[in-house]
Amino acid sequence: MNNVEHSAKPYWNPYLSGFGLGLVLLASFVIMGRGLGASGAINAFVATAMHQLAPEHVEKSAYYAEYLGDGVHSPLKDWLVFEVLGVFVGGFLSGVLANRLKFRVEKGPRMTNPLRLLFAFIGGALMIIGARIALGCTSGQALTGGSLLNVGSWIFMMCVFGGAYAVAYFFRKQWI
Amino acid sequence: MIALTALTELTLSRHNPLVDPHLHIWEWQIPVYLFFGGLVAGLMIIAGVRLISLRPQQREALVCCTIGPLMGLVFLSLGMFTLFLDLSHRLYVWRLYTTFQITSPMSWGSWILLLVYPALSANALAHLPEAVPSLAKRFPILVTVSDAILARVQWVVGIGVANVMVGIALGIYTGILLGTLGARPLWNSAILGPLFLFSGLSTATALLHGILVVTTPDEERPAFADFLLSALAQLTQARPLDRNIAPVLARADNSFLTIELTLIGLFLLGQMTSTGIHQQAASLLLTGPFAAVFWVFVIGLGILLPLVLQSLELNNRIRHTIAPVILVLFGGIALRFILVYAGQQSHWFQPLN
Amino acid sequence: MNAPFYKFGLFGDEASLIIAFVIGIGFGFFLERAGFGSGRKLAAQFYFRDLSVLKVMFTAIITAMTGLYLLSRLGFVDLSLVYLVPTFVVPQIVGGLLLGIGFVIGGYCPGTSCVSSVTGSIDGMVYVAGMIVGLVGFAEVYPSMQSYVQMTPMGQITLARLFNLPYGLLVFAVVLMALAAFAAAEWAEKKVTGTSPDPKGSITGGPWRMTPVRILATGLAAAGFVALIAGDPYRGSRASIDTRDLAIRVGKGVDKVQATQLADWIIQGRNDFKLVDLRSEHDFDAYHIPTAQDLPLASLAPDFAAHNDRIILYSGDGTEAAQAWFLLEAQGFKNVYLLDGGLRAWQNIVLFPQKSAGTDPAVFAKQVEVAKYFGGAPREEGTSPAASVAVALPKLAAPAQPPVPAGNSSNTQPKKKKEGC
Repeated sequence: MNNVEHSAKPYWNPYLSGFGLGLVLLASFVIMGRGLGASGAINAFVATAMHQLAPEHVEKSAYYAEYLGDGVHSPLKDWLVFEVLGVFVGGFLSGVLANRLKFRVEKGPRMTNPLRLLFAFIGGALMIIGARIALGCTSGQALTGGSLLNVGSWIFMMCVFGGAYAVAYFFRKQWI
Repeated sequence: MIALTALTELTLSRHNPLVDPHLHIWEWQIPVYLFFGGLVAGLMIIAGVRLISLRPQQREALVCCTIGPLMGLVFLSLGMFTLFLDLSHRLYVWRLYTTFQITSPMSWGSWILLLVYPALSANALAHLPEAVPSLAKRFPILVTVSDAILARVQWVVGIGVANVMVGIALGIYTGILLGTLGARPLWNSAILGPLFLFSGLSTATALLHGILVVTTPDEERPAFADFLLSALAQLTQARPLDRNIAPVLARADNSFLTIELTLIGLFLLGQMTSTGIHQQAASLLLTGPFAAVFWVFVIGLGILLPLVLQSLELNNRIRHTIAPVILVLFGGIALRFILVYAGQQSHWFQPLN
Repeated sequence: MNAPFYKFGLFGDEASLIIAFVIGIGFGFFLERAGFGSGRKLAAQFYFRDLSVLKVMFTAIITAMTGLYLLSRLGFVDLSLVYLVPTFVVPQIVGGLLLGIGFVIGGYCPGTSCVSSVTGSIDGMVYVAGMIVGLVGFAEVYPSMQSYVQMTPMGQITLARLFNLPYGLLVFAVVLMALAAFAAAEWAEKKVTGTSPDPKGSITGGPWRMTPVRILATGLAAAGFVALIAGDPYRGSRASIDTRDLAIRVGKGVDKVQATQLADWIIQGRNDFKLVDLRSEHDFDAYHIPTAQDLPLASLAPDFAAHNDRIILYSGDGTEAAQAWFLLEAQGFKNVYLLDGGLRAWQNIVLFPQKSAGTDPAVFAKQVEVAKYFGGAPREEGTSPAASVAVALPKLAAPAQPPVPAGNSSNTQPKKKKEGC
């Protein structure tokens, strides 16, 4: 373990990694007849966890009803849950091979750690709510729907970029 | 005729958990116990082999000789406690030790478990002063006992051999415990014994490997994990552990995982070439309701991924991390949970449909 | 070979989960390779410093899009079976804006946060925690918002259908647009950071030599051009019929569903079939069989349903239904049936059954029950069927389900959860 290279390797070229990503997406279309996703897995996870913690409340809720399914199969036995599990594994493999595993906080030089973590928390909450309202996130809507020429996905994609560029100025301290 | 109808009815409705709520007689306690049993068996064998094959000075530096048996005692107690939780008549547990039934794996198991404690304790005592120096300072008698054991070669070898033997017996017994339950066709395989033994060996090796990785000072190690590190380092007094042992453990773990994978293949092959009932039982894992969790959790995450990661570590492509360790331990638990749960769904009488 | 494999039943649900895991590994691997485990790199997109997000996303989109077009056009993939998330215009605008704002604040999107946290980014982990808490909160306010998130539905619809343009033309346009965006992105990066792009990794920078990146861009442009001229990718837009097979099936009568059987299915609440009314909208509004959807013959586009959906057709006397049956068979639909005798048989047998001398009383009693369920009534003995037409048709029966909205296969498997993200 002493002779391992310790410096992180550079990222791949964006076009070539995008091509790889596109081939994975195409494989998903051809094999499964559906695209990729991410936020749906969080839904299944939250529905299961909440069902364990507050079964009566969850069974009454209109929201959770569609994720709890038929009551025989666990909501965790879901395509997206297994796919996201794979995302973790694939991300880890790529990270460890390129020597990029490191506990760190991603931020610009002018940002403090606690504030960055608070923003990450708020951003995560906002984003999942947006994804629920729009029926998908950047993977399920923009990437998948975009390549299927889905009307809603293209509307969604324009709004994501629009929303982000509109507020980017106010959060510049966080990143640059 | 009536009896046949009743039997059919019984087997039919048994597939409905609402009609027969006792379908799962074994809950989480049994797989957890089997996991701890296998882990302890592995720790015993490894610590025993080290005790036999290495000189005391070499042993002192080795985590598997010093901290291994101590952890084995803890895990064994945890496992016994889950087994105790599983019993319906907890107050009568002592009755297991008033008899020895040669045909009962329960009886074998309870006596083997009784032998595990002294063997492991003796193994732990041999190097306890090195393992927990603070304890040895408070109780000088521990040093005396340790010196007394180490002074006599035949004692050391005897303890080592006893650990290896009892460890093998314990590991095989955790599989045979399932194998002798004739009513569940999925478990009707003698391969379960060696399978659980090697799975236990791989989890034990992984655990030792993991301890070694987290206790080894590494300037690259992030501050975030420091609390974990320092806790373990205090336990082992931050002894400069031999760095060369990590690749040895990784290599050993890879061998155990490969053997485990082969045994799983043989187990399934045996089931698939057996009667229709056994084929149906095996298909629970291969294509049935347990297929996804079996292939993804046991084979993918529990065996193949750690094999790949540890091979990369051995080739110096990546640093030693605790990721494969966590995966192997997780895979060991998953294997036992899935085999116990799927086994309980396998029946001799298949529903008529 | 028929793809999508899963939709053609090549493997089951359990195997699909294992495949999900493997596909996920690929997804995560390329996200991390591209640097999307780093929030700082992702956010740089919105300050024009590093437009990797745009480059990766659009390269992936046009790769998958042209690939899917070509495979569909070659007949390998049935494009109608690839799931489309339904469009709801207002919620997707609102959700998109929220997501965009969340992206700048949080630094990740759900997929990239997984990759980020697993490589050790603590803000990525906190982001995941934020998603969980956000979702728990959202579940509580959801009931009061339920009607808003289903506003302005447009069903499962592609840009090609919306604008009534050829699919291939849109594929070509998106490829061109993406390539133009890449050139603009490289120009913007150069402007903002002041460094010229790495000639090996960019499309525009450096001397004009063929690099892997330029080969890729050329290949994608070529695929887009093929799409422009190669025609419609949907299966069955050009007809091909095995006439002998068809004749045998017609001869055996396996292409028909009896009115009583259909009535039973509707009462049982089965929704594994689509009931299609081929009459005019006016007639449809006057009366239609419960659960039917109105679809005049002219609007039977090849993508009106998935090719393996079970479709039952009916019209007034059966002529239009028979014509539509041939049309759909030619377009490659596998399970198309005719309601035997059309709406007339439905009236005479289900709505207004008549007791004849030989009828078993028990059977007739059941027929009466069925008739009452659909708002009809038994006829007196001896009244001629012709007279019964004058009997007013019932108003739309209350217990029936609302008509199924036109669209793709989302309603064929009721217990299946949403496929969307």
